[in-house]
Amino acid sequence: MLTSIIETDTSAASITTDGLLRQFGSLTALDRVTVTLPRGGVVGLLGPNGSGKSTLIRILLGLIPPTSGQATVLGHPTTKPARYAGDVGALIEAPSFVPGLSARKNLLSLARLRGLPTTRVAEVIRIVGLEGRENESVRRFSLGMKQRLGIAAALLPDPALLILDEPTNGLDPAGIVEIRQLLKTLAAEGRTVVVSSHLLAEIQAACDYLVIIRFGELMFSGPMGELLDKAGARIEVAPEHPADVDRLRVALAAAGWSLEDDSLVVHGSPADAAALNRAAHEAGITLSRLTPINESLEDVFLEMTAAPTRDPVAASQGARKKASTNA
Amino acid sequence: MRELRSELTRLNRRGIWLGWLGLMAVFAVLINTVIYTIAANGSAPPGGGPGVAFPTMATLESSSGIVAGVSSAASMFGVITLSFWAIATASDYSTGLIRLLAAAQPHRWRLLLGKIGALLIWTALATTAAEVVNLAAALPSAEAAGISTALWMDDLVGEIARAWLTSFSASVVWGIIGLVLALLSRSSAIAISVGVGWVLLIETIIKTASSEAGQWLPGTTLTALAQGGTDDLSFAGAVLIGCIYAAVGLIIGLVIFIRRPITE
Repeated sequence: MLTSIIETDTSAASITTDGLLRQFGSLTALDRVTVTLPRGGVVGLLGPNGSGKSTLIRILLGLIPPTSGQATVLGHPTTKPARYAGDVGALIEAPSFVPGLSARKNLLSLARLRGLPTTRVAEVIRIVGLEGRENESVRRFSLGMKQRLGIAAALLPDPALLILDEPTNGLDPAGIVEIRQLLKTLAAEGRTVVVSSHLLAEIQAACDYLVIIRFGELMFSGPMGELLDKAGARIEVAPEHPADVDRLRVALAAAGWSLEDDSLVVHGSPADAAALNRAAHEAGITLSRLTPINESLEDVFLEMTAAPTRDPVAASQGARKKASTNA
Repeated sequence: MRELRSELTRLNRRGIWLGWLGLMAVFAVLINTVIYTIAANGSAPPGGGPGVAFPTMATLESSSGIVAGVSSAASMFGVITLSFWAIATASDYSTGLIRLLAAAQPHRWRLLLGKIGALLIWTALATTAAEVVNLAAALPSAEAAGISTALWMDDLVGEIARAWLTSFSASVVWGIIGLVLALLSRSSAIAISVGVGWVLLIETIIKTASSEAGQWLPGTTLTALAQGGTDDLSFAGAVLIGCIYAAVGLIIGLVIFIRRPITE
């Protein structure tokens, strides 16, 4: 069982899971996931298709029970979803509405189900930018408009916790930026926004905290910056004279630096640059280049989810090693 | 109450108005045309086909003649009701709306009762529509067929009320069967196919094989209920068996809806 890398005060947690296991027959959709998500901010939920993200969301919303383990949402156990349903809004997978009804009537039916005033419908329509289209049949809506309507439905209860599955799916670039801003605004108001997405650049741009799942196993849970710092901390060095390449490799290895195979890429953070330079200088080599490599979330994610281990740093390094061997 | 209002909002759409009430009205016109045409031809009433029980000339000329169309096509009205209960239930699954509904109201029994309540209101509306159209169609049809309507006004309100109540009751049981089939299959197509197939085919075969067993089957029972009793089954017996079908259906529906994980 892997526990969250970042220890978080559970009293301030929006979501906690403890050994959450969900099996569908012989398929293990979630494998003893233990994670604690902070309250407030935008949390990214990442994982390849079939990794267990939707299963996790469904358990959190009380739609399916776990095979074993426990989870809490806003401090309440998921076995009692009625206690927190009024504080949680969700867009689960594709937006789901009655096609023959207008957007306004679809939202009205959900508002009535939650016992909300009808004025709230107009508010959320305005928030997601569907003003002027609210009386059109949902059947005529594009995927992007349905997506906005789904977000509007999730916003209806003015939730403390918003869970959005692929919220920017089908949106045009301007719409994506708009929704990203909306998510940040909602988080800035004190809400917790959990976003599941395959658009890694979007996650990187919008999220403060990250959960990565692969094959039902928790790969990483922690602040976004920490993952990028840990997994992506590398420095590329180059000697002034190409003839010194081999000598530099030997010198850096002797000084205890870890290098990637057949390259002059050293595992280390930008703070290690001075020490690297010093090691090269002591070997009588002048460096012409000392460049920190900034990896994107996409690089880290692809490496991590392709690697056979769950340790993000080891996974990242292992995948890189494998890639260089293949090359 | 929230669940009822929410469901009524979703059902209040053109497809339901035109489809459900429209079909009931069309069948009411058709059945009146058919039963009076047969009577006008002077031939003995046929034994009735699946879902239809033709009235005798004596029935048509009695005080209940004015509502004979409603009770004659009770099973057809029932199948229409079954279909719309099934559509209203299964479409929550096929559209994925059930995820939003269950997340918003985790007490699923309340969701289901709200749906049943809304469908009962719609069934009452549809029954009323069928009866209104039947009343409008019966008199010209009877006059065209040369059938005496002298006794039709004897207990007009009572006959209309009785026909409405029995037709509504039978339709509700049909609807509950549709709801359970939809919950089991999560597909309106499968639920309707099974329901219609049962009335048109399976029950007929069973009745042919065993007339005694056939008296207890849903089609026969609910036809007897709608007609205020038949030669095979008394009205009291039909009410009792109909109540059992409804109760068992509701229990099965509630258990399935509450306990089954929402995975799709």
